[in-house]
Amino acid sequence: MTVHVAPALTASSPTVAVTNLRRAYGSRVVIDNLNLRIERGEFVVLLGESGCGKTTLLRALAGLDPIDGGRIAAPRRPAVVFQEHRLLPWDSLWRNVSLGLQAPDARERAAAALSEVGLGERLDDWPRNLSGGQAQRVALARALVQEPELLLLDEPFAALDALTRIRMHALVRELVAAHRPGVLLVTHDVDEAITLADRILVMREGRIAFEHRTKGDGTPRIARAELLAELGVAAPSPITA
Amino acid sequence: MSNLEQTASSVAFDGPRRDDNSALPSQKAPFEFSRRGLQLLSWLAPVILLIVWEALAQAGWLTPHILPAPSKVIRTAYKLTTNGSLLTDLGISLARAAAGFAIGGAVGFVLGTLVGFSRVAEAVIDRSVQMIRAIPFLAALPLVIVWLGVGEAEKIFLVALGVTFPIYINTTLGIRQVDPKLLELGRVQGLSTLELIRRIILPGALPSILTGVRYSLATAWLALVVAETIGAQSGIGFLAMDAREFLRTDVIVLTIVIYALIGVAADGIARFLERRLLAWHPNYGAAR
Repeated sequence: MTVHVAPALTASSPTVAVTNLRRAYGSRVVIDNLNLRIERGEFVVLLGESGCGKTTLLRALAGLDPIDGGRIAAPRRPAVVFQEHRLLPWDSLWRNVSLGLQAPDARERAAAALSEVGLGERLDDWPRNLSGGQAQRVALARALVQEPELLLLDEPFAALDALTRIRMHALVRELVAAHRPGVLLVTHDVDEAITLADRILVMREGRIAFEHRTKGDGTPRIARAELLAELGVAAPSPITA
Repeated sequence: MSNLEQTASSVAFDGPRRDDNSALPSQKAPFEFSRRGLQLLSWLAPVILLIVWEALAQAGWLTPHILPAPSKVIRTAYKLTTNGSLLTDLGISLARAAAGFAIGGAVGFVLGTLVGFSRVAEAVIDRSVQMIRAIPFLAALPLVIVWLGVGEAEKIFLVALGVTFPIYINTTLGIRQVDPKLLELGRVQGLSTLELIRRIILPGALPSILTGVRYSLATAWLALVVAETIGAQSGIGFLAMDAREFLRTDVIVLTIVIYALIGVAADGIARFLERRLLAWHPNYGAAR
């Protein structure tokens, strides 16, 4: 088993470079010979059915799971937003946002990050007083306050209602435009992918099976049906790439 | 923006709103009492009991040597307080309880933390602790007296023994119950092991640890009563045993009342700690 994690890359190289990645649980291969590059400031959305290995890939990039082969070059400390907000219920919002932040002005920086997500007035509030959408905004603030080169989003909007999700999409686009991290968003929501992505990847059986570059401004240049077909959702006339 | 989100707030993340709770009493019963009224009402039965007791004693229906009047107990309390002996004995009892609690609590917390963190420590320690725990700790009293005599050490040891296990079990449980997803988050945020313990594991285990504290305060008190009843030369228990020799039931009743009051005070302290330290927790803190 070889694990190579290179230190943060220089400005000219991509934020993430994955080569021949392999990950298996016993005899079941989850990620098979996968290659992936994410450029600086690029918003990549990874689509796939449940169990296709997309979350496994994200966790490998986050350094949360070991890999069984290949090579990952990624920033040492990417920021991660999970499907659940994972706020510490015993800490105030600013303490949550500054978790792990080694800076004397942690509170000021947390305050700035909370204002960015529209919760600047609630520094000392408890997480239990937040709605689901607000909690996830705090989780975004906590990720961005670290000024990460790479932002990993693991279905962060899946548990939110439709209206809140639309607002979150707008917020994420704003924040990413302001901070310019490389982004990998894992989702199974085709519309979310079309709205947010610079580049859409469809993962199937542990490989990148399909790739599409969008204009990145939410204008779909790809038919929704085409993406759905890639995901194995029956369309009237399936199109194969 | 936030307006819309407030109304669309997800059900999964929020507990019941406090507004909902306060709306409950409005399902009106035929007789309605305010909160304060209900509290006064709850004191009605004890007060009536005291009055009846006093009346029966004044009427001469109660033999003073069997059960003294409440007023007699109060006078005795005043007398013993003014000559200083009551406060001295009370102080000695409290000091014993505190020493035993500190020792037992520290041992229980350290062992519980080790076992909570490490499967190896669990393999080494847990079985022995569970075996000792199976003994009702008061059953060990004769052996403890053989080892340590009937001095201070025996009493403090017994209290410590009673305190150790509730703290141990609840500390272990609390640490085990910390959400692994939060631990993972801690790693993602780059916390060191020490920060992980301080920021996530201990706060997460705290509700359970405080439950252990509350439970062990009661055990500590029980252990002290038993220890002081046997061969004590001072303390509240000694006061009671000494009074028994002279059939001073007023003093005996007084000591029982004092034990009760201190038990209530100990519980109050535990609850205060819960309110202060668990202000974030929906089941404690400001909501209660």
